[in-house]
Amino acid sequence: MQIKPLVVIGFVGTVLDAATGPARWERWRPTVAIGMYEDLAVARLELLLDERRFTKLAATLRHDLAQVSPETQVQIHDFHLADPWDFEQVFAALHEFARSYPFDVEREDYLVHISTGTHVAQICWFLLTEARFFPARLLQTSPPPKQRTGDCGSYAVIDLDLARYDRIAQRFARERADTASFLKSGIATLSPAFNRMIEQIERVAVRSRAPMLLLGPTGAGKSMLARNLFELKRSRHDLKGRFVEVNCATLRGDGAGSALFGHVRGAFTGAQGERAGLLKSADGGLLFLDEIGELGLDEQAMLLRAIEDKRFPPLGGDREVSSDFQLIAGTNRDLAEAVLQGRFREDLYARLNLWTFYLPGLKERAEDIEPNLDFELERFARLNSERITFNREARERYLRFAMSVDATWPGNFRDLGASVTRMATLASQGRITVEVVDEETARLGRLWGHSRRGVAGNGHDSLLQAVLGDAIGEIDRFDRVQLCEVLRVCAAARSASDAGRTLFQASREKRTSSNDADRLRKYLKRFGLEFAQVQAAAKALPSLK
Amino acid sequence: MNTKKDSELLLDGSQGEGGGQILRSALALSMLSGRPFRLTKIRAGRSKPGLMRQHLACVRAAALVGNAQVEGAEIGSTEIGFRPGTIRGGQFEFKVGSAGSTMLVLQTVLPALLRADAPSRISIEGGTHNMLAPTSDFIADAFLPLLARMGAQVQMTVERHGFFPAGGGLVHVEVRPGPLQPLHLHERGASTGLEAIALLRSLPQHIGERELEIAARRLPLTASARRDLSAGFGPGNALVLKASYANVTEIVVGLGEHGLSAESVAENACRELRSYLAHGAPVGEHLSDQLLLPLLLAGGGSFVTGRPSSHLETNVAVIHAFGAAQVSIAPDQGNPQQHFRVSLET
Repeated sequence: MQIKPLVVIGFVGTVLDAATGPARWERWRPTVAIGMYEDLAVARLELLLDERRFTKLAATLRHDLAQVSPETQVQIHDFHLADPWDFEQVFAALHEFARSYPFDVEREDYLVHISTGTHVAQICWFLLTEARFFPARLLQTSPPPKQRTGDCGSYAVIDLDLARYDRIAQRFARERADTASFLKSGIATLSPAFNRMIEQIERVAVRSRAPMLLLGPTGAGKSMLARNLFELKRSRHDLKGRFVEVNCATLRGDGAGSALFGHVRGAFTGAQGERAGLLKSADGGLLFLDEIGELGLDEQAMLLRAIEDKRFPPLGGDREVSSDFQLIAGTNRDLAEAVLQGRFREDLYARLNLWTFYLPGLKERAEDIEPNLDFELERFARLNSERITFNREARERYLRFAMSVDATWPGNFRDLGASVTRMATLASQGRITVEVVDEETARLGRLWGHSRRGVAGNGHDSLLQAVLGDAIGEIDRFDRVQLCEVLRVCAAARSASDAGRTLFQASREKRTSSNDADRLRKYLKRFGLEFAQVQAAAKALPSLK
Repeated sequence: MNTKKDSELLLDGSQGEGGGQILRSALALSMLSGRPFRLTKIRAGRSKPGLMRQHLACVRAAALVGNAQVEGAEIGSTEIGFRPGTIRGGQFEFKVGSAGSTMLVLQTVLPALLRADAPSRISIEGGTHNMLAPTSDFIADAFLPLLARMGAQVQMTVERHGFFPAGGGLVHVEVRPGPLQPLHLHERGASTGLEAIALLRSLPQHIGERELEIAARRLPLTASARRDLSAGFGPGNALVLKASYANVTEIVVGLGEHGLSAESVAENACRELRSYLAHGAPVGEHLSDQLLLPLLLAGGGSFVTGRPSSHLETNVAVIHAFGAAQVSIAPDQGNPQQHFRVSLET
């Protein structure tokens, strides 16, 4: 019989337990009831009682318990409380009892009986048990609905370790899945900054329906995050409608307004019938406008109105349509600069810029490459019903490459996904080998070719390449970064002096006179370069204009 | 008793009456035959399924007497494994909590103790008068005399009565093992008396008097008495009706209950005894549940009873499962409509 003997600890109820004479058997007495449940076998009962005041009661309980439960050993502990309603006193006394009691959790199971004693005692039992001073579960006894002889009522055992309750544990698990982890598509990301940001986004998403602006390079996962936010809100019944995703770069010209806001019949030539528009489709749901910086100024104005009034007229119509949607906008542009250049409406930007989050590229989250790699493998498995694994060496080698400076990941997670898909497709018998990895890293090197040695991967190093040719290999990476930026300024400047002013502006402000152009020339000289040569090379590279 | 002695017998606890009876019968038969068994779905359909304290008390008692290894002997357990060793006689004390029945524990271990290598003296604490179990009056006056007639030497003394809910009863039983003679109980024989005894503890006397008054009105009593039990162990009341014949005695007990009038207690008991008196078979429903195992110990026998109860049928099923004997139940020729003859052959 492996089950551990059960020990119940509790106060004697000086009111509820105190009944005398044969009629006491007609009363519900919680302490006696503990011995009467046909499905609760108590090996020992530790009763706390002020013995001097309640000697007779103690004797009666001992006698009656021996009768209803001959297998239960009853021990009475003299327990004096001057004021059983004084929290501090009761807590201290019970705490002291817990510390001195020889708990043996290996060999015995403990229950703390909370149905006797004052409410203060109940609170103290709870606190001390929850804090594990009593390594016990709570025992709650309840009287029968009607006092009847012999009915010992019912009892419940409450375990304060909430993880033991299936329904509560599930709820917690669901809660967790619903929130941060859910937003990360279940990827166990390690980057603390990223995880913190996801937690913030989750908090905002749960509490607010204001627009959100997601910044970040292409492929950083803006679209997936927007979709996950939608799913999260829908699972919490915050949103009932659909998820509508639009890339504003694809909305150009006349069609843009109609696609977004809809049109009435005959609004323009070819408008044969009505069109509801994407904003209307998103009614009650979430509208994700990616590349919002590409939206035309007219559409921006209409969008602002639609956000603020939740109403807008479709093209060619005067009857307004209402649509209440949560807006998430995404961009990889600097919208503030676009505002300065007059390409983006300031009022719309202000409206969007309430909750702005920057999703870093893969390069900035090197520690998350591994969990994302696993995620991509799983996604491949799900889509192709084929589980692909790396062999250990191949995995290490790929990760080493993926986290190295050579891997620029200009397309971010999209690049990683494509890379995994290629390797998984080429893997024979479901194993990605070192050979497959080597081919892939070489392929990535070629694909990223021009941007591989650069800092930002945006083409400036092609200028470096153009002016230096093969000599580039002789320059330390340390210097290359600086030189690259200097060349970029030179390329954009009207003259050497102009470039010098830009480059040395901070020190210029501190000093009275200087020759910035000369300083620049000397710098360029170190690499065997001339200002004019740089400008000429820059003009020859069309991508820099 | 049978060839497949070592293999574990699988029993479904939800068959038959589906309660504790199958467990007690299986424990007794396993100890007698030495065959291990595994009982599943114990009390499967009940609101609190699995083993309760009183069932556990039976399992523990059997484990001690039968020197058995037990698996799953826990409150709420719906499956137990029982692997008996050699039966041993001796001194035992069993305790049944929650005023559970001492008589059910006795029922479980008595057959084995009759086959033990030494005499036994057992003490059982708990209830003696329980709602859904034979009372000590029934065992003492209806069951044990028949056992004595078969040659068994069993002495039972009720030191204290134990009523629900307070319990606190204490009985002592002395068992001298020995062979039993087959019993054939087909006729009641001549009536030798019809008594009513009202047991009272810590309750007003008028309760007993009102019960006896009803009994006198409903039954042709030859004697009636009120018996006051020593106080201090919780209130208790029972009306014991005893119909004695040359070959058999039937005991019907009405138990007092809070909220049930003395008159109702008495009326219910009288109704039950009158139906026994009317159907004429010697063995009443509750006695028929108890007799099969003694017949098995005796190597055979038969009795005539009224309509077979579900407890009886469960017992038969378990005996057959253990391959211990052949039991047949057939309409009795004397009164095929109402009487059934139960015969056991090994």
